[in-house]
Amino acid sequence: MSDLIEVRNLKKYFSTPRGMLHAVDNVTFSIEKGKTIGVVGESGCGKSTLGKTLMRLHDPTSGEVLYNGEDIANMPIREFKQKYRSHIQMIFQDPYASLDPRMDVLQLVEEPIRVNNKKLSKAEVTAKAREMMELVGLAKRLEISYPHELDGGRRQRIGIARALSLSPEFIVCDEPVSALDVSIQAQILNLLQDLQKERGLTYMFITHDMSVVKHISDDIAVMYLGQMVEKCPSGEIFRNTIHPYSQALLSAIPIPSVHEKSERMILKGELTSPIDPKPCCRFAARCPYATDRCRAEEPVLREMKPGHQVACHYAEKFM
Amino acid sequence: MSETKESILKIKNLVIHYETDEEVVEAVNNISLDIGKGEVLGLVGETGAGKTTTALGIMGLLPDKVGHVVQGNIFLEGEDLLRKSNREMQKIRGKKISMIFQDPMTALNPVKTVGDQIAEVVLLHNHCSKAEALTRAQEMLAMVGIVPERYRDYPHQFSGGMKQRIVIAIALACEPDLLIADEPTTALDVTIQAQILDMMRKLQREHGTSMILITHDLGVVAEICDHCAVMYAGEIVEYGTLEQVFDRPKHPYTRALYQSIPSLDKDVERLHVIPGLVPDPSNLPPYCSFCERCGEKKGVCSKYDTSIVEVEPGHLAKCLMYSPSWKEAE
Amino acid sequence: MSKMHTPAMEKIEKKNARRKKPLVATPSYEAWKRFKRNPTALVGLVVVAVLILIAIFAPLIAPYDYQVQDYLSMMQKPSAAHIFGTDQFGRDIFSRVIYGTRYSLLIALFCTIAAFFSGGLLGIIAGYFGGRTDTIIMRIMDIFQAIPMIMMAMCIVAVLGNGIPQLVAAIMFASMPTMARNNRAAILRVRGCDYIESSEAIGVSQGQMIIKHMIPNAVGVMVIYFVGFLAVSIMMMSSMSYIGVGLSAPTPEWGLILNDGKAYMTTAPYMMMFPAMMIMITCFAFNLMGDGLRDAFDPRLQ
Repeated sequence: MSDLIEVRNLKKYFSTPRGMLHAVDNVTFSIEKGKTIGVVGESGCGKSTLGKTLMRLHDPTSGEVLYNGEDIANMPIREFKQKYRSHIQMIFQDPYASLDPRMDVLQLVEEPIRVNNKKLSKAEVTAKAREMMELVGLAKRLEISYPHELDGGRRQRIGIARALSLSPEFIVCDEPVSALDVSIQAQILNLLQDLQKERGLTYMFITHDMSVVKHISDDIAVMYLGQMVEKCPSGEIFRNTIHPYSQALLSAIPIPSVHEKSERMILKGELTSPIDPKPCCRFAARCPYATDRCRAEEPVLREMKPGHQVACHYAEKFM
Repeated sequence: MSETKESILKIKNLVIHYETDEEVVEAVNNISLDIGKGEVLGLVGETGAGKTTTALGIMGLLPDKVGHVVQGNIFLEGEDLLRKSNREMQKIRGKKISMIFQDPMTALNPVKTVGDQIAEVVLLHNHCSKAEALTRAQEMLAMVGIVPERYRDYPHQFSGGMKQRIVIAIALACEPDLLIADEPTTALDVTIQAQILDMMRKLQREHGTSMILITHDLGVVAEICDHCAVMYAGEIVEYGTLEQVFDRPKHPYTRALYQSIPSLDKDVERLHVIPGLVPDPSNLPPYCSFCERCGEKKGVCSKYDTSIVEVEPGHLAKCLMYSPSWKEAE
Repeated sequence: MSKMHTPAMEKIEKKNARRKKPLVATPSYEAWKRFKRNPTALVGLVVVAVLILIAIFAPLIAPYDYQVQDYLSMMQKPSAAHIFGTDQFGRDIFSRVIYGTRYSLLIALFCTIAAFFSGGLLGIIAGYFGGRTDTIIMRIMDIFQAIPMIMMAMCIVAVLGNGIPQLVAAIMFASMPTMARNNRAAILRVRGCDYIESSEAIGVSQGQMIIKHMIPNAVGVMVIYFVGFLAVSIMMMSSMSYIGVGLSAPTPEWGLILNDGKAYMTTAPYMMMFPAMMIMITCFAFNLMGDGLRDAFDPRLQ
């Protein structure tokens, strides 16, 4: 299978009054067609910025994003909108805020169809919107409802319908289930998986929830302060976690069982801010194994096993 | 529930409604709970299950005019909190019961130093000097793992996890008998959540504080609670010790809930789904409210409602399945 | 069984049974529901409605013509024939105040609309485009604002002369900065919302974004400013007429009636009392209504 998306040395910096904020710093990865890559990390690690940069909602500072071999990150925005807007879509994190409160459900689903197919008549747009609503499991009687009357699960279905109505190939899912209750979360995850199978979609699934990401992804990338610290197939990360941060992240997850009480690795301190970072391992300040080398030299992403990359000086030790 | 244990809080047949001109929301429907001294109870449920309303009811902080306790009693060490005047409740809040809210950012006053905010609570409930209160504030900060010298700092100088520690310090400053924590770690990242849970567990052990932990995360309950109550549509559908509820769930809702969580150690192709939605709390059915979504229902389920029954010692479930007539039912 | 039934629920059930069509809870309907629950806002609304009715039916309500001078009944105290009394020319103050409602409300409306379409539009443009456009527009507004409102209006009237169009223009220029600032803030708030980003992601064009998403969502806040500004312009107009700029006699504008009574303040205080009361009531009502709208259009639509 070929790679649908190839990201090379992508950087996105924001200038703030306190200095350059390195939201995404030198990230390189690729996604195969029809697969799902899960991007995990804590808030402020740059995972959402990464997604929005792929969508061209932000312009990258430097680096390339190859989509079927063509660089979409550096082409003029007008050309991108014309050629690729409908290929790449996004499902937003907060279904409460990402829908216009003054539009009813039908209008919300019609909008992308109407905007992108100017030739369609009103009736055709409505017919297509109804088809999309059925696809994501929104009952016809909800057409005249407003988002504030609906629960989170249904709102997220509207978001999915809006993204899918342009028949995209690649969808950035930015924490699509983190605002939902568990029972609803399962419904939405299943819907996303079914749609992927039916339409051969490629997903980038951004989340902070390890168990969700493991369930849905083929590959997992762990991010810390704008950098990718570990990337491997999803089964691998739970069996052979290498990077100390990934280990800590995994062990911090509260497991809903009375028996499996493994020894917990509790990190000290909190995420520092990625403003003008020094050239060192960014995790060094919280890492229990940090040495002088970690504090002086920036580790690079190295292939430790086929398909398993880690950015740690002492990766061999943790294997 | 066993009669022998010494209980600190006893809720009996509590019903709470939110009443406006347009609708009546039946937020809490006839729940009874018993929390023993030094016990940690996890109150689990989805959005709108009535967890927070229960907590606000205990604290006497239901929204004015709209929130009504329709029936029931809440006994704190034998005294009925619902019969207390506002003034008396003010004395109880903070001193005997404290509450931690979900969002630490809004719970702190941005223009006062954290030391002053802790000292304020101490002064309110104890006869002591300002200096003594401030010393106490520093002790509290040290207890929750913040350098005591930072008592002169303002909330914005702390990160999210630190702020939640400060909120906990304020809540514990007067050594309350009961602590109600409403989603204390939901707004935090997992690694910070692990820190806070670890600290709360330690503090709870050291001080023997009784605690009600409200959460939607079964994992968090497994971490620190010893009893667990599952709420659905304003009712407690299952109650028992952690082992009972987690290893031998008796209510179909609890069982379905476990299956719908993606697991870290098992690979499943598709997640188990609880079909449908939580019923509208302003229009609850006269029969079992989980009936519509239940995978184990029979015809009788949409006819009758049942009360919560003991299915094994100390383990309660509210399901018709445990009524004597279930086997004959269609 | 375990569910409770309370009197409040029965009342609502009865109410719902009477209702024929199911309600569609549009955001505007929700806002009206919140507005309805606010008694002070309702009082404001009722008073405003009454004032509008008075303005429309002024010829029917007023017992006398507002400019007929009756030298036989000059300076009369309030009585059955002249319930607000008469002025130094024998004109019926009640009739003048009634007709004054017409003038005051209408001119205030014109002023507000003018200010809205000049300052408001500039604010919307500044807020949407941001960057340099924003800076240029807002700095010009800052210069405007540096001159006191009344002072500015007086200068304009001094140059253009007295009359209703001049007065409207004066108040418009004087209030442009405030209008621009408020509308810019309203647009900026909407601009930061996630649904704007989400619409951008599905390829909505800029013009569509402003018309379909930003204005409908900002309109609530703009209505609040609009209503609040009606009160401000009535005050401004009256104070200008009172000091003698803007309108000229015998227009029965409240400020002018006040001005007429100024000379007899000690001997005939009723001449000033009634028009002053009307100004007060009107401003108060608009402000109450504005506050009610603010609560109703609360951005947290939950």
